Amino acid sequence: MAVFATPREAFGALRPACVRLTQAQTAENVALLRARLAAVGAAALQELQEYVLFPLRLALASPGPRRERLAQSAARGLAAVLGATRLRGPELLRELLAELCACLAPGTGPPPAPAPAAAPASEELKLAVVEALHALIHSADGDVILSLYQPPALHLLGFAVSLLLGLAERERAKQVKISALKCLQALVLRCECQQHRRLREDEEQQCGDSFASFLPGVSLALSRVITADIKQGHGTTVAAIRVFYRVVGLVMADEQLARIPENKEKPSVEQSGVSKLAVHRGPDWSKNTAEKLSLLLRKIVERSSVHSHWKVRLELVELVHHLVRNCRQSLVDSFTHLLKALVGLVNDENSEVQSRCNEVLQHIAEQQLVAHNRALADVLSENLHSLATALPRLMNSQDDTGKFATLSLLLGYLKLLGPKVNIVLNSASHLQRLSKALMQVLELDVTDVKIVEDRRWGSGSGYEGSLQHGVQKGRCQKKYFRFFTEEKVFQLLQQICRVLGYYGNLYLLVDHFMGLYSESAMYRKQAAMVLNELIAGAAGVGVDVLQEREVSLDVDDIKGSITSILDEYTDQANWYLVTSIDAEETSHELSVNHSGLAALPGAACGSVLPSPDPRVTTRTMNSNIWQICIQLEGVGCFAAVLGKEFRLLLLSALYPVLEKAGDKTLLISETAMGTLVDICEACSYDSVQCLINENSDYLVNGISLNLRHLAHQPHASQVLDTMLRHSDASLLPLVEDVIQDVLLTLDQLYDHQASTFLGVLYSLMAALVKWFGPSCSEEHRRRQAAERQSGTLAQVQPAITRQEVEQFFLDYVRQKQVAEGNLSDSGDEEADEVPPVAKPEPSNSDTEGETPLPSHAQLAKDVMERCIHLLSDRNLRVRLKVLDVLELCVTVLHPHGNHLLPMAHRVWPALVTRLISDDPLAVLRAFKVLCTLAQTCGDFLRQRFSKDILPKLTSSLLSQAPASARAGPVYNHTLAFKLQLAVLQGLGSLCEKLDMGESDLNKVADACLIYLSAKQPMKLQEAAQSVFLHLMHVDPDSTWLLLNEVCCPHLYEPPHTSLQPVKLHGMGKQRNEFTDNVLLLLEKLQQQESSVLQAGTQEASPA
Amino acid sequence: MAAPPPDPQFVLRGTSAAVHALHFSCGGQEPDVPILFSGSENGLINVWNLKTRRVDKALDGHGRKSVCWVETMDGKDRLLSQGRDQRICLWDLAEGRTSVMDSVFTESVGFCRCSLLKVAQGRWLMAMAAKALDEVQVLELPSKTSVCTLKPEAGAKLGMPMCLKLWQINCDSQPLLLSGYEDGSVVLWNLSMGKVLSQLFCHQEPVMSLDFDSEKAKGISGSSEKVLSIWSLNEQQNLQVHTTHRLVNAGISDITIRPDKKILATAGWDHRIRVFGWKKLKPLAVLDYHTATVHCVSFSDHKNPSERLLAAGSKDHRISIWSIYTQT
Repeated sequence: MAVFATPREAFGALRPACVRLTQAQTAENVALLRARLAAVGAAALQELQEYVLFPLRLALASPGPRRERLAQSAARGLAAVLGATRLRGPELLRELLAELCACLAPGTGPPPAPAPAAAPASEELKLAVVEALHALIHSADGDVILSLYQPPALHLLGFAVSLLLGLAERERAKQVKISALKCLQALVLRCECQQHRRLREDEEQQCGDSFASFLPGVSLALSRVITADIKQGHGTTVAAIRVFYRVVGLVMADEQLARIPENKEKPSVEQSGVSKLAVHRGPDWSKNTAEKLSLLLRKIVERSSVHSHWKVRLELVELVHHLVRNCRQSLVDSFTHLLKALVGLVNDENSEVQSRCNEVLQHIAEQQLVAHNRALADVLSENLHSLATALPRLMNSQDDTGKFATLSLLLGYLKLLGPKVNIVLNSASHLQRLSKALMQVLELDVTDVKIVEDRRWGSGSGYEGSLQHGVQKGRCQKKYFRFFTEEKVFQLLQQICRVLGYYGNLYLLVDHFMGLYSESAMYRKQAAMVLNELIAGAAGVGVDVLQEREVSLDVDDIKGSITSILDEYTDQANWYLVTSIDAEETSHELSVNHSGLAALPGAACGSVLPSPDPRVTTRTMNSNIWQICIQLEGVGCFAAVLGKEFRLLLLSALYPVLEKAGDKTLLISETAMGTLVDICEACSYDSVQCLINENSDYLVNGISLNLRHLAHQPHASQVLDTMLRHSDASLLPLVEDVIQDVLLTLDQLYDHQASTFLGVLYSLMAALVKWFGPSCSEEHRRRQAAERQSGTLAQVQPAITRQEVEQFFLDYVRQKQVAEGNLSDSGDEEADEVPPVAKPEPSNSDTEGETPLPSHAQLAKDVMERCIHLLSDRNLRVRLKVLDVLELCVTVLHPHGNHLLPMAHRVWPALVTRLISDDPLAVLRAFKVLCTLAQTCGDFLRQRFSKDILPKLTSSLLSQAPASARAGPVYNHTLAFKLQLAVLQGLGSLCEKLDMGESDLNKVADACLIYLSAKQPMKLQEAAQSVFLHLMHVDPDSTWLLLNEVCCPHLYEPPHTSLQPVKLHGMGKQRNEFTDNVLLLLEKLQQQESSVLQAGTQEASPA
Repeated sequence: MAAPPPDPQFVLRGTSAAVHALHFSCGGQEPDVPILFSGSENGLINVWNLKTRRVDKALDGHGRKSVCWVETMDGKDRLLSQGRDQRICLWDLAEGRTSVMDSVFTESVGFCRCSLLKVAQGRWLMAMAAKALDEVQVLELPSKTSVCTLKPEAGAKLGMPMCLKLWQINCDSQPLLLSGYEDGSVVLWNLSMGKVLSQLFCHQEPVMSLDFDSEKAKGISGSSEKVLSIWSLNEQQNLQVHTTHRLVNAGISDITIRPDKKILATAGWDHRIRVFGWKKLKPLAVLDYHTATVHCVSFSDHKNPSERLLAAGSKDHRISIWSIYTQT
């Protein structure tokens, strides 16, 4: 608040204080004056500037014991006055400067009698004086301050500079240091405040000339400050860096240097004394200086780029920015370090540094500094070369952080080079180095055994599961590298490749890396990885660059490259690699009849073209798996790049991918699924299913052609398998044709390729069941359940009501009379009416036989036909598989009884053999088939079963029973046991399904009864129980009787004395080996009956 | 030991009927994709894009009656097709149109395929079986005016014409017609006089197909027997048997000499396509892919010899495309 606005009032207010101060230089008086000053307006003070300054200067210079506080106070006063006013006289400026400097440097300054105690001035004083200096420089008008930079004032300026530098370097107090540096910055006329008017060019030039003299000292001192101990705090370092680049940027500015004449001007005579101090910034000088500065800069960069405080690093970025902007020619030698620092900081942990760094890089790129400056490009490519040379070594020795930094650097160089990167690439040795480095860094770790072991348990239980994969978003598999573990390192490498692809000559790069790809198996995976990224980069997918490339790439060019890469990838030698040892197994399997449990699905990896080395190591297989995965990822990436254009390439690309989607190795099939999803997205198909359906013609073509070659048949069947897996019923008409081809081929090669094709047939039938089956079978199940319900009710209900019992007897009597010939007329008529109702009903079966089968059923029939032949294959696996397929066939054909029955008739002999004289496993599966068959053609089978199979089964059960009863726990692992178990487990449900006659049931019951013995192994007992549980469903009464014959827990009292007493064999018997199981079964029977009874009464009660 | 016969380069499926006629049109400039026309038993003409290997268009103009002959007139925009509905249609396919511009009613019920010959710019001759059983009629297109009707002498008992081939030695010379008849003879007709120049009795069975090389003045014909007959035309315009070639299996439904006159292909009833060297009739390859009678074979007219293909259409609804002997 300016209280005294006019000079007169102000004078009135200040005068007493000034007078007092002039008379007695005490701190109190100074304080008084300062208090008054606060109340004086700026305009008024301007008038009184010199008047007020005088006492203060006096106080500042006054000797005396209490000088310290006084000087400090006076300096503050000065600062206040100067801060509010403008300094108009160059003389005054120089004097004030000199006086203030003198305060800082007692002993050398003008004050003649320095107090000994004051030699090391206090920090407060120094601070006050420095601030006063700062104010002084700021208060000086433009022209006035410029006078400081005239040669005559050079010594004074130099004095001030050296003092300030001394403070910055040697002072302890942080505040003082920073102030000194700020002041120095102001002295160079490079402070950030806005009050200064912009200097004209010639004025700038003059400043530059003046400061050139101090440059060595300033730069050395500042670099010492910058590289000094970290304890000095970041503020100092930041300020020092800032002053450093301001000064260097001023003195070494390209603009100024360009204007310097070659030779030194003759100094005018009167200036000759001081002009010795002045420097001529000629070419020699600038070259020398640049060399020296380069050393300093390098030290600074090295030190500050790893400084722990981010502000220092940020300031370093500013330094680079400033110097690159102003001194790109003069300091070109230092750029190696500067750009290295800049590029290295791109991935700084601090986001502010990062973004600023990016801005600066962006700026550099935008200015096309590199593009238009060959020297800079050379520097960069030289850096790149040396880095690429060192890269493998660094990758070996550094930790992940170090690697990250190194690679960031590489990326940065590439980005900075931008389109100029082709200079580097065109040099063979550069390209060689770079690519070899990439090859080495990207080396994968192929020691993991799990990759090889993880199998897709395809055709069996995994059927539903694998469909889920299709939903997953296709993304890259996580890779494991030999030289690094962190994902971000890989991302950097990816980015490096992409940037290369973005700027580089695509043909050259693709050609080079294709060369590496085919050069050695060592490089193959890496080269493929690089190629994938190159293409992505060339298309501009996921590249983060600083500047647009000059010519955007032609789609046709990319397409050409992609086509050639695809061709190479899907070449037989690169696509059909040994990824599992199954291949050998299958080939041996033909001669050796395996009887092991291993139910490997289909063993589909048949003999591959590059004949597998018998001693394939896990490592090789792992490596092969990765190679295929990378190639698959490549296909996905290419699709993403080309978008809908890729549809044309589907012709050749889709088939191999589907082939791999059906691969047994989990990793491969998953990757291939991912690729399919990628392709779907790229070519804008709605789903994988859509993709397959719409391109089924290409696939079918491939399948049909490949089926013609033995070696390719497994692949072809894999493709078909995958198609079936991932599509729906609408696919069927499209592939019907080729399925016929498969069947034809199978017909020609029953011996060798059966297992291959069975996989397909299985998938086919499973697909048919899925597409056409469920509705039918559901309906069937419902019907069956209903039948059973009504059946049991029918059995039970007569027992419920007395009327019905009565009715039964009445009917019985009448029937007997009829049989004896006692006919009553009335009953006759009723009987006649009934039959005609049933007659006109058209027999369903006839019409069904004539109508052509739906195609899926026809296929099932065709497949079943083949199964008949294959049921007696030598190989157990094949037989098991065939039984599985057969079961599915039966399920599909289920609704078409007229076709199923003849087929069942033909299958029967072979099936019987499986059931009675085969491996237990086969027996078990054959039972399953039998049960499925029984659901449809119960009547058809009943007779045959009881004739062909039952006797053998029961007799074997009976004959084996003593053996198993005696045996110890090891028996559980024998084949005999498994066979017993299989039969017992299957028999019960079979009896029920086939609705067998009483005598057969008795046979079964007799044979199984001995297995209820407690001496039998537990599992067999349980299985036997299950048989009886089933029998209970079929015929509860006889089962009850049978069980009670063995053991009868209750006594049955006849309800009336006229009835004979109930006598059962089991009554009153001692507890024996059968007791436990029989009692258990009887209890269950009781439960079942009572529950049915309840259901019956509930149903009956409303009526 | 010669290399095993190759696989088809690809197979076109989706005609859903037996294929009876094929014709390539690959002569266009770069942006044009090579095209294959196929005529099938269900009366559809499919236009196959050989780049995507898919049907671009399906033309329906023969009332679901079998199409037995397709031929283009100057590029792929004008198409002639002959159907068993006794019509020959002229299609306008330019700019995506699929309309019948014109049609000729042949009144012939036979199987005889037509033959087309360009005699001048914008002027064609077309030979076709006529209403009377043993007659051949030659029309000028596009005016549809009858040039002549070729009727064998009374009592010649040639039977129906089975196959026709119009040709001329060079652009200015008189067009001539070769026709194969039901009785196994091949007859050379002079169109302007409308009379027989020469007759050669070369098969026991009806002549199913013939092709003629006007440069070497040599032709080949096949019938339902196991023999291929090669005959030549001497200076006196007389046909004479040059040599015969015995086949393993009987029945040739189509014979085509490649435009460069180096090889020829036959479509066999034994499901196989046979390739011979034209000069000495050296058997070169037996292409085995189809699972039913092969009805027709056709060579592509692509400008680039390496992309010249062979197509064969079969009763099994498939068209197999082969890339063979492109280097010779």
